[in-house]
Amino acid sequence: MEMETPTRGVLATGARLVLRGWRVLSWAYVVNLLLGIVAALPVAATISEILNHSLEAGRLAKGFDLGAFFGLLMQPEVTLSTFVPGSFLVSLLYLVFMLFLTGGLLADYRHDQRLSFSAFLDACGTFFWRFVRLLLFLLLALVPVGLLHALFQYVTSKRIENSPRDSVAFWVTLSGLAVVALLFFVIRLWFDVAQIRAVAENERKIRHALGKSFRVTFGNFGSLFWIFLRIAIVALLVSAAAAWFFVKVLRPEQVGVTIVYCQVFVFFWLTIRFWLRACETVWYQRKFPAPVAFAEAPILPGPAESEPLSLPARHSRLLPMRRLYSSASPPKMM
Amino acid sequence: MARRLLCAALCAALLLPAGVAAPPAPRPPQAAPPDAAPRAALSERVVAYQIDARLDAQKKIITATETLTYRNLTGQPQQTFPFHLYLNGFQPESTFYREIRRFGSRGPWEEKNRGGIEVKSLEVAGQGNLTSAIEFIQPDDGNPKDKTVFQVRLPKALAPGASVEFRMAFQSKLPETVARTGYKGDFIFAAQWFPKVGVWWRGAWNCHQFHATTEFFADFGTYDVKLTVPQNYVVGSSGDEVSSVANPDGTKTLTLRGQDIHDFAWTADPNYRVVEDSWKGSAGPVKIRVLMQPDHESQAARYINALKGTLDRFDRWYGPYPYNRITVVDPARGSAAGGMEYPTLFTAGTFFLMPAGLRLPELVVEHEFGHQYWYGMVASNEFEDAWLDEGINSYTEVKIMDSLFGSKTSAINLWGITLGDSDFQRLTYTFAPDTDPMVRSGWQFMTGNAYGGVTYGKTATVLLTLEGLIGEETLRRAVRTYFMRYRFTHPTEEDFLKTVEEISGQNLRWYFDQAVYGTQVLDYSVDRILSDPVDWFAAKLEEKKGVTLYRSHVVVRRLGEFIFPVEVEIKFDNGETIREKWDGQDRWTRFSYEKKAKVVSATVDPGRKIPLDRNLFNNSATREPDPAATRKLTNVWRVLVQILAQALAWLA
Repeated sequence: MEMETPTRGVLATGARLVLRGWRVLSWAYVVNLLLGIVAALPVAATISEILNHSLEAGRLAKGFDLGAFFGLLMQPEVTLSTFVPGSFLVSLLYLVFMLFLTGGLLADYRHDQRLSFSAFLDACGTFFWRFVRLLLFLLLALVPVGLLHALFQYVTSKRIENSPRDSVAFWVTLSGLAVVALLFFVIRLWFDVAQIRAVAENERKIRHALGKSFRVTFGNFGSLFWIFLRIAIVALLVSAAAAWFFVKVLRPEQVGVTIVYCQVFVFFWLTIRFWLRACETVWYQRKFPAPVAFAEAPILPGPAESEPLSLPARHSRLLPMRRLYSSASPPKMM
Repeated sequence: MARRLLCAALCAALLLPAGVAAPPAPRPPQAAPPDAAPRAALSERVVAYQIDARLDAQKKIITATETLTYRNLTGQPQQTFPFHLYLNGFQPESTFYREIRRFGSRGPWEEKNRGGIEVKSLEVAGQGNLTSAIEFIQPDDGNPKDKTVFQVRLPKALAPGASVEFRMAFQSKLPETVARTGYKGDFIFAAQWFPKVGVWWRGAWNCHQFHATTEFFADFGTYDVKLTVPQNYVVGSSGDEVSSVANPDGTKTLTLRGQDIHDFAWTADPNYRVVEDSWKGSAGPVKIRVLMQPDHESQAARYINALKGTLDRFDRWYGPYPYNRITVVDPARGSAAGGMEYPTLFTAGTFFLMPAGLRLPELVVEHEFGHQYWYGMVASNEFEDAWLDEGINSYTEVKIMDSLFGSKTSAINLWGITLGDSDFQRLTYTFAPDTDPMVRSGWQFMTGNAYGGVTYGKTATVLLTLEGLIGEETLRRAVRTYFMRYRFTHPTEEDFLKTVEEISGQNLRWYFDQAVYGTQVLDYSVDRILSDPVDWFAAKLEEKKGVTLYRSHVVVRRLGEFIFPVEVEIKFDNGETIREKWDGQDRWTRFSYEKKAKVVSATVDPGRKIPLDRNLFNNSATREPDPAATRKLTNVWRVLVQILAQALAWLA
């Protein structure tokens, strides 16, 4: 069943999938933006009282004067401790939202055509709790990474402490962080594959899915990591260029333009994550194509009794999904 | 010699027009000698130290003998002499650590941070061995465990004008750096490493215990130091290197001489890279020696450029630098020894990736060099009048950094983010604006932060505000006069304040009483602005720009207790600007106008001459809101939250 070159053209195919599912991406962005706006509302309400009628505010509008900024922070009304918890809570809400969205997103990416809105929501709901369980396993899997980092710090601290060179300390510390980041992304790849597999195989037993996907991920680590690496390089290059443009070209007083520019940047990072998801899904599909009988079944628009989900026969207990993809009415395009 | 006369003439020419009285102990500026040969005294040279020291580089122990010749210039017989043993502060039961704990530090005690000086023997020439007469005293807090000051009573009193010779053998254990003193790996920074006699000042011995926030106070004199260290160590010190002799045991003995200085510090590190340069000032050439850590070698130019710019401005603005050398020490990583001053030597600090727009290396070089003037030569009492050193130095730091890098960008100019040094000083003041007066002794401040905020930030801001009162140039002349008059002496706070009043020709007591001796907070605000049509009652009122007559009011309030005369600028929508003056005596005032124009804005202190005003945001009010800054900062927060949310979503 395995294809010989599952990575060929995978980035382009993934990008096409992201484009095709632009509505999901847009929703993910809009929710991200709305939550950001909600988190920023108390900040705006507080600082507007101080800034909007003060000429001193010009030092912040026409540049970013740290003296004025810290002067603002020292105003009794401005208490970061009241802003931070709300913003963190909002960020956690977004995590939950993305947990919910991911099931539908992966189901959408693994089909040749877009899912209907109801099918998409159904997939979101179907996989939500499984992905919550996966999240808990992910947190468990990250514990050794944290321990490893602590061990790394312990082992290197003496060398760092006694080195007269900043560079030694800097590069050793950076290397430690890079290794931790790398391990995180490797584990994330594993869990990404687990999620894709859970959707593809309608896997209910999460530990089982994790075990299988572990073998899949690390049995094909080179090709999977190559996908990740190329996307990461694109992300970093674009981010560096964006930062350069922000610092060198955008003028501080162009507040409106800056706001739009920042949102484009935020949207770009979201796109990167979606792109990686799409590429991983394409890779998995090519690596483990569904049985022909199922794979060739039409999805959308399809007959009421169509069975588009390419599941092996052993996963016939797929009641919610079966219901999901056997809607009598023509699905609404997303 | 010709240069000396020229300098003396120049200084006299600068001082005489200002009506400056002759200094109490006139010492014409001396051209720097080309080498370490004895030279004409710049100071009274009360003390002469001869120290022969050997460093055990493995154990970080200095074993030494010290001969101190003390000249009794007190005008009265002296029989009891107090000595500092500063290193004994680095012991867990010392007053130094008591205060650190009191300030909130909760770190565990680590034995490697223990330091101390043990006086093995003390003899006084002609009066015998007085080791057993050593008595530890605690003049400040009575802590019997504190051993940072001892005194010894001589069998025979020392007559006025006579000299006495103390001969000591001592051993100093350096801590892993505490308070920028000690070692880190091979890096050695030996400061306050020898027994040092107190100062007879204002009719009494002044020899305070070592405190968490205080620095030092000592008499001027000469230092002849023989220092034996491993041959591979590069040494920098407060003295000129007279000779260096290699010893058969793999060590070398350096002979070092410092003149007209009041302390002697040295550093040694096999990793130093030496970068040398020179600068020529009105008192002659100055050799610049920079001891860089290997990783920082490429940044030596930043140190040197900042130092030359600083030397140049000090020379032109405040007076000549009379020494023939200055050594910049780039301390070892993690040593926490950066940013400390000693005569003709100071520590700086940088990072190997320090971006050019982050001017910390320049700032620390400027600041620590400035101490050569406000601590090194004008040797005020750092225990009791720390603001005379740190505060005036912070003020001159602002002036020089602004001159070198621009007032808005003198501390940071990086990626569109800016910070002026004056704002930096102001910020440190606003953290603790009203806890302590500037004139408080260092260890009596409420907290360490209060000490820092008031001594550095508030003093600089008080002097910057003083510029607005008497003029920048006048204050510069006053500071110059203060330096020229009191260098190589131990002036008091009143010496400085009276010099400012004298040069400005103004009675500034009302200001000094509040700013220097008081804790009043200065805060003015525009409380409200409004413009109301005079015919507001008319049945069909049509407001037309330039036609409708308005009755406008601007209310300005004094929120703080600090009374200060202010200017208020009122702008109208026909382009007219009015400047009003208010003496600030009452809690508020109202300015009213009848014009065919509405008030657009009102600003207290439009020229920004009162940085002492704690809150600058309430200094102005506009009729129409301008939400640009709010939008910008809200955008920053929003984007940060969005990115945080997306980062967390990587767990999904």
